[in-house]
Amino acid sequence: MPSVSRLLDLMGPAGLIVQALLASLAAVVGLLAFILLRRGVRRLYFWRRDRRVLEARAGWDAIVGGTVSPKTWVLSRMSREIVEGILLDRLEVAPPKEVERLLECLRFSGLLDARVHEARTCRGWRRHKALLALGRMCVPEAIPALTEGLDDANEECRIAATRGLGRLGLPRAAVPILQRLSTGKLEVPSSLLLDALINNCRATPALVLTFLLKSVDTARPLLARVLGEIATPDLDEDLLLLASDESSEVRASAARALACAKPGLAVSILTGLVDDEEWFVRLRAVVALGELEDPRAIPVLLHGLCDRNRQVRIRSACGLSRLKDHLEDIICLALKTQDAYAIQELVSELERSGGIFELVTALGDSRRQAKAEAALLAALRGGCRRILLDLVLNHENWRARGALARLLSRSGDSELPKMMKLFDSPGLPLRKRRVLRWLERQLAPTQSSVSQVVRVVA
Amino acid sequence: MIGPIVQWVNTLLFFYYLACNLIYLRLLLAAIKASVNQNRRQKTAWLDRVRRSPLTPPISLLVPAHNEERSIVESVRSLLRLDYPEFEVIVTNDGSKDGTLAQLVEHFQLTQSDYLYLPQIETKAVRGVYLSRTERRLIVLDKEAAGAKSDAINAAMNLASKPYVCVVDADSMLERDGLLRIMAPVVNDPDRVVAAGGIVRVINGSQVKNGSVGDVRLPWGFLEMMQVEEYLRAFLIGREGWNAFNMLLIISGAFGVFRTDLCRQLGGFRRGAIGEDLDLVVRMHRHLREQNQKYRVHFVADPVCWTEVPSTFKSLGNQRARWHNGLAECLWHNRCMLFNSRYGRIGWVAIPYMWLFELIAPALEFLGWVSILVAAVLGLLSDRFFIQFLLFGYVFSTLISMGSVLIEEMTYRRYNNWRDLGRLICFCFLEHFPYRQIHMLWRLRGIWQYLKGKHTWTKIERVGLGKSPKPSVAAG
Repeated sequence: MPSVSRLLDLMGPAGLIVQALLASLAAVVGLLAFILLRRGVRRLYFWRRDRRVLEARAGWDAIVGGTVSPKTWVLSRMSREIVEGILLDRLEVAPPKEVERLLECLRFSGLLDARVHEARTCRGWRRHKALLALGRMCVPEAIPALTEGLDDANEECRIAATRGLGRLGLPRAAVPILQRLSTGKLEVPSSLLLDALINNCRATPALVLTFLLKSVDTARPLLARVLGEIATPDLDEDLLLLASDESSEVRASAARALACAKPGLAVSILTGLVDDEEWFVRLRAVVALGELEDPRAIPVLLHGLCDRNRQVRIRSACGLSRLKDHLEDIICLALKTQDAYAIQELVSELERSGGIFELVTALGDSRRQAKAEAALLAALRGGCRRILLDLVLNHENWRARGALARLLSRSGDSELPKMMKLFDSPGLPLRKRRVLRWLERQLAPTQSSVSQVVRVVA
Repeated sequence: MIGPIVQWVNTLLFFYYLACNLIYLRLLLAAIKASVNQNRRQKTAWLDRVRRSPLTPPISLLVPAHNEERSIVESVRSLLRLDYPEFEVIVTNDGSKDGTLAQLVEHFQLTQSDYLYLPQIETKAVRGVYLSRTERRLIVLDKEAAGAKSDAINAAMNLASKPYVCVVDADSMLERDGLLRIMAPVVNDPDRVVAAGGIVRVINGSQVKNGSVGDVRLPWGFLEMMQVEEYLRAFLIGREGWNAFNMLLIISGAFGVFRTDLCRQLGGFRRGAIGEDLDLVVRMHRHLREQNQKYRVHFVADPVCWTEVPSTFKSLGNQRARWHNGLAECLWHNRCMLFNSRYGRIGWVAIPYMWLFELIAPALEFLGWVSILVAAVLGLLSDRFFIQFLLFGYVFSTLISMGSVLIEEMTYRRYNNWRDLGRLICFCFLEHFPYRQIHMLWRLRGIWQYLKGKHTWTKIERVGLGKSPKPSVAAG
């Protein structure tokens, strides 16, 4: 029997080992040299680049004003890239007057034409880069080149063209996207399309609506989603139409859009959507109602608070907690529903949104005290005990602590003494323990009489 | 009799080793291509779009914490400072015996509340929910210890109200734009991307200032340096490579984003799973493939999560044994996926790879050493061939490690210092002996622990974020 190595020799791989070893060794040395060389070259490159950036910044006004001939910098690739980079960065933050000058510089220096040329003639990453640069330039002259990019076979280029068009912020730039979308010819991720259309059609939502009404099935939800973000109050009647659309996605987007509509009409349409069979339509409806911050929405949001879907309940509670002037009424109405989940959801949201903290702080303010007391008593009946006891002991404002302690002592809540036992640990400081003892004493003898007060408040 | 057996074993192991190296090489090439493309994309104001878009989804950050009093405040502060349009932070104090909860109560003015907690996913009893008076995005959950991280994450997931959850270790620190970067693929393709993972890097040796990593430096300790190399290789080659083929099976438990509804549908992280991160992703693949859904699990190499790695042999050994124990447990739990055409390339390539080249690799490596020894004793080993083979193994492994340094250098360049680069390269040559062999023994211990049925979570000793036991090098 031959040895294993001789067997491998016969089979061939052993001979390959030496070759593989040499190849790996060469690759390691090559990689090492490449890494070190690359870092060295980059160091030199950035040193030169930083120097040029400083020069460009020093003579920036002359470059933008055209006092320095563009030929002096446009012919050097590094200088051209530096000036273009600074120009594009500046364009994003400059005031309108400066933007005019910068755009003028882009035009007379030939940078714009060069990018348009690159976007039309190059392929791959160069085209990708040119399309993105054109988008950042925010000039209408870029639209034809960017539109051609939408039909590129390479997905990265199509994405770059969509992003480029999306950055222009012009309704004209949205048209090629909308045309391709309505015929189902544009294949890019939907979120990019949404972003591009939202940015371009913000001032003209009617344009999206026109395409939405005549588009094919797949594009309808997407266009409705765009409309949901950019709707204006003058679209009321059209939104009414969309709210009764057969597609649930379109109805959900209509609900989203109604947050921007006139409150009167919006509340009445959204009231219908709160009973929709799809949970996400109901969710969008209660979110929109919450955003309206209209007291007329309280009964509808309370209806949403008792929804079978938890997300809808959470967002209804969120919407209700925004109506800070009506908290007492809201809590009392929620208590009347006798839906334990709904009440608990509302109390949780009040705690989480800081509503309870604000009410406790308001106890120290004589103008807001009465309202805050009534709301806190209602919250206490809703089950908000632990946090109030914690605040009695730990709130940073001693006035608020005192007022809250007095309020709790008057509440006559029978559950409070049980809860206090949880706080009464051996490690509790003496001062806090005294507060608990006092509260206990106050609650015990007057329980029946204060219950009457609570009933009156209720 | 023993001679032919040894020969066959050696021949099999030779081909096993060859296959393993070819896979590594393929992953390296795919990773280089993917990294370069990703880097080009990142240069085009990609993040700005995620930040400004009204479509960017909100996230719940889930932070399980067990005896983390040294780092918890710094971690939570750093999370609250993240650059992202809308998020909430849910910290679970998983029955800590130290002052983790007290630290949080003191620093964030927490108040006990009656916040509604619905245990949609079953967990150990929750003792209380705390809300902050100063920071409304923070919720702290106090629960009984279950001895597993998965239970703490599930408890936090029960409270999560956002459509995506991001699991972050309490002893880790995200870069300020980490969430924006990790969410970029989700925002880009929300219908298909169900999970995304970021890269985890070693914080030991770097300076931490105000909840963020200031000066990025390599650690001085040998063990920590070894782990830097390992992390670079695992993430920049392993994850990036598998991601290129859409066969990513692991998203690090230290930093990963998941779709909340899908997690809940799967019952959250499996209770009792030790490798809970791997287990969840594998179950996601399993579930979505069974449903015939189009989906993608993404790896993004530039959102960085900095983590403190063990600096002693004992803690590192425990950690690695636990990881391997978790791998064994997860693969066994999902054994029905192996070579099952229902799961497509996951069942035919990714899962078999995990069995063959990850799970039983230490056992085969050990067997290889034993058979070489036996062959040498029996006089069946050619010295020349053995040395050539050993040299090839050494050089090829170095090549793969150098590949990860190359990707790091060409794309992310976190270590700008020349000295750090030099040390990274040097450690590419140093890690194959004896560290690799010790590592093999730790992994064998993991298999042994699994076979013995030890499924408990062992705590790793840590110094605290940015508090390296050895002084970090001053600039220059």
